[in-house]
Amino acid sequence: MTLTRRDFLKLGALVTAGATLSSCAPVYRRLAGDLPSQAWSPLAATDFLALQRMTFGPRVEERARYLEIGLQEWVEEQLDFESINDFDCELQLSPFKTLGMDANEIEAVSNQLFENYDREKAPQELRQATFLRQLYSKRQLYEVMVEFWNDHFNIYIDKDKCFILKTVDDREVIRKHALGSFRDLVWASAHSPAMMIYLDNQANHKGAPNENYARELMELHTLGVNGGYTQQDVMELARCLTGWNVKEHFWLGDFVFKENLHDSGVKKVLGMEIPNAGISEAEQVIEMLAAHPNTARFISTKLARRFIADDPPVEIVEKAAQAFLATKGDIRSVMRVILLDGLALAKPKYKRPANFILSAMRMLNVETNAVGVQDDLLRMGQLYFNWTTPDGYPDRSEAWQGNLMPRWQFAFALLRNEINGTKHHLNDLMETVSTGDLKNGVDSVAALLLGAPTEAAIRDELIRSIQAAGADEEETLQIVTAALIASPAFQWR
Amino acid sequence: MLKTMNWMPRLAFSPVGSAPRGDTLVVVFLRGAADVLNMVVPHGEDAYYQLRPTLGIPRPDDSRAKKEERSLDLDGFFGFHPSLKALTDAWDSEQLAIIHACGAPDESRSHFKAMELMERGVDDERGPASGWIGRHLASLDTGNSSPLRAVGMGTRPQKSLSGSVPISVLRSIADFHLGGDMRALQQMQNALNTVYQNNQQGQDTLDIMNTLTKLDPEKYIPARNVKYPDSEFGLALKQTAMLIKAEVGLEVSAIDLGGWDTHFAQGVTSGQMPNLMKDLAEGLSAFHADMLDQASQLTTVTMSEFGRRCSENGSLGTDHGHGSMMMVMGGNVNGGMHGKWPGLHESALVGPGDLAVTTDYRDVLSEVIAKRLNNSALDMIFPGYKPGLRGILR
Repeated sequence: MTLTRRDFLKLGALVTAGATLSSCAPVYRRLAGDLPSQAWSPLAATDFLALQRMTFGPRVEERARYLEIGLQEWVEEQLDFESINDFDCELQLSPFKTLGMDANEIEAVSNQLFENYDREKAPQELRQATFLRQLYSKRQLYEVMVEFWNDHFNIYIDKDKCFILKTVDDREVIRKHALGSFRDLVWASAHSPAMMIYLDNQANHKGAPNENYARELMELHTLGVNGGYTQQDVMELARCLTGWNVKEHFWLGDFVFKENLHDSGVKKVLGMEIPNAGISEAEQVIEMLAAHPNTARFISTKLARRFIADDPPVEIVEKAAQAFLATKGDIRSVMRVILLDGLALAKPKYKRPANFILSAMRMLNVETNAVGVQDDLLRMGQLYFNWTTPDGYPDRSEAWQGNLMPRWQFAFALLRNEINGTKHHLNDLMETVSTGDLKNGVDSVAALLLGAPTEAAIRDELIRSIQAAGADEEETLQIVTAALIASPAFQWR
Repeated sequence: MLKTMNWMPRLAFSPVGSAPRGDTLVVVFLRGAADVLNMVVPHGEDAYYQLRPTLGIPRPDDSRAKKEERSLDLDGFFGFHPSLKALTDAWDSEQLAIIHACGAPDESRSHFKAMELMERGVDDERGPASGWIGRHLASLDTGNSSPLRAVGMGTRPQKSLSGSVPISVLRSIADFHLGGDMRALQQMQNALNTVYQNNQQGQDTLDIMNTLTKLDPEKYIPARNVKYPDSEFGLALKQTAMLIKAEVGLEVSAIDLGGWDTHFAQGVTSGQMPNLMKDLAEGLSAFHADMLDQASQLTTVTMSEFGRRCSENGSLGTDHGHGSMMMVMGGNVNGGMHGKWPGLHESALVGPGDLAVTTDYRDVLSEVIAKRLNNSALDMIFPGYKPGLRGILR
């Protein structure tokens, strides 16, 4: 990272603030995300919906920027994520030393005494960092894509050595290629030790095949379950993948191809005859899978489902798949179709738990160290990297609509500042719009959280029902805000 | 705005029939494709031991193996894995039926596809998107409008429950309160009542909150002082028992027990899979004993998406297979072994060497639904399928 002069001065100020950082609210808040310097106004429903798909819930500044430059330029600006200065967010991550470590280094810091591992340290850092990035990063579209691929190439962090290896996979596979080429992404994932361990390929040996990874590579990562492969193809691809393994002692956790475990016979996968060629057998298959029309359609369908609707329009999926094939899987090109052609057709989607929590916190400029919210994510069923099966956290609305209670609990606790390490500044925030009047205040909060004010009758009834239980004006605004976060409308994006 | 942004259509439904409610149904789903050949072991079959030289569970009379590592004979041919020992009470009292070589026609060997189709109760993707339990609830008006009519234990609703009838998801009864001091709590409840005034799910959630404040799993004393395993599965069963006894309108409880995808080092008599079996057996056995007085109005079904390869793989585990096994427990069960055993000799295996399916899982469920749940709308619950009755229940 190259530092600008301004960043450098900021960093200096931070270092000077040193030990008092956590208790020094103004400095912390500057870094955490400034209070908006401008007031906000209601948004058209289509603009609000588009922003909710491309961010984890738009901040005031993001709304303003979008209105200033429009969808097309906003998309281009976000796709060129490396040009967006994200220094403030990076600073937030500096305490998490394991993020940049290799597997053997993480192993060393997790290994407390002989075989007694601290299995929590690295996963906890990765979970906090992931949340802080989603909350504070200005590269919102990139972070949304990172979340998408982490689901697509799901790894359960608690399986065996994945508690060490997932951090590396997140950095070297997912984050590295999230807006790059799909071919590079699936290639990197196939060579990722975390994936190897998670789907048992380290146990896939000559004469003793283990089909787990071979199957999911085709079913979940590329072709899709109806992508035209057979059980025979799974078994043959498993043979190609024999010997793909993970180092266990020196350079622990690195990828290794073990020739002596490799099945050297001739294989036939999807009609292609594969002569004995060691590691390049499966690599040939990966090249074929990455460029396969069914892969293009499967990936485009999943992206369209994430960004447009649970049952996305076929013509958008087809157009995106064509872009995929024409560019050999350039993810940016596919995303241009999905966003520029597709967002206009978007249908409401139920917020997944992380999206629900993040949108409330981003819209209200809440500051957090991302510790306490982990409990809420767990209770709602989306603690990061904790989904055991390789299909990743579900995307469809219906999967998440079962239980309102933990969402209500979060909303109530958030506004009462009862979440560990998390603090809202609703009063300061409201000074930006300086309304004075409670009704105007409620309308402003609704415009922030729902895009536009509620009907006046509902607003008045809401205020009345809260004040009937003895709330003063300040309490009323807090409970209104909690109730809006808990409301049916806020569960959708 | 709130009114117009109410995107949660609860489809109006008109049930096919109305009848008084039948048994409470508990459905336990073993996620990941349980290795049923090592649960209900065909110890009378030599091929089993040839296919599983390392993982095979010794015969009940195999003097070379330690007694506690041998299978527990059930009928001279099949035997329980020793970790399922706790189920022998239900077996001996003839309240446990086992249907071996049971499963679905789907041959994808994909967890996700198989679970999806099985929970929807359909042959292929073209069938209705709702779940079989959801359609059972929607097709029978029992006059029960309780928000706890059907409960998914856990954090996410089981697919089988989805449909036009609202269901609840419950991880813990104790989790079900908002916290805060009485004054703030009252303010929040009033506010929730306002924003959810036109929303059934919200109103139901407020109702459940009020009902469950009065129940505490910590203070619950099961009948006969049985002890539930200290696991999520144990808690789910215990809470099911509490809800049944509290008479809050529970008709269906869906419970997941995951971790059965044992490709690697699954364990013979100890380890990964035996631990799961122990949790399963001790949980079901505690539930059975706790609910003996209610057994005549209670049916518990255990199922999994498919079975595992008959031969062990090279990593002391088993790969995806086909035929599975179901268990039905309750006061109206014809206890014993059911279904036709296809055998494990090479010519009897299907696909890459898997147990054949001789009983469709829908036959078992249809019998439960028709005989115990008072619902005859089987053509709606399992569209396009003609179930055969197998005499598993009375």
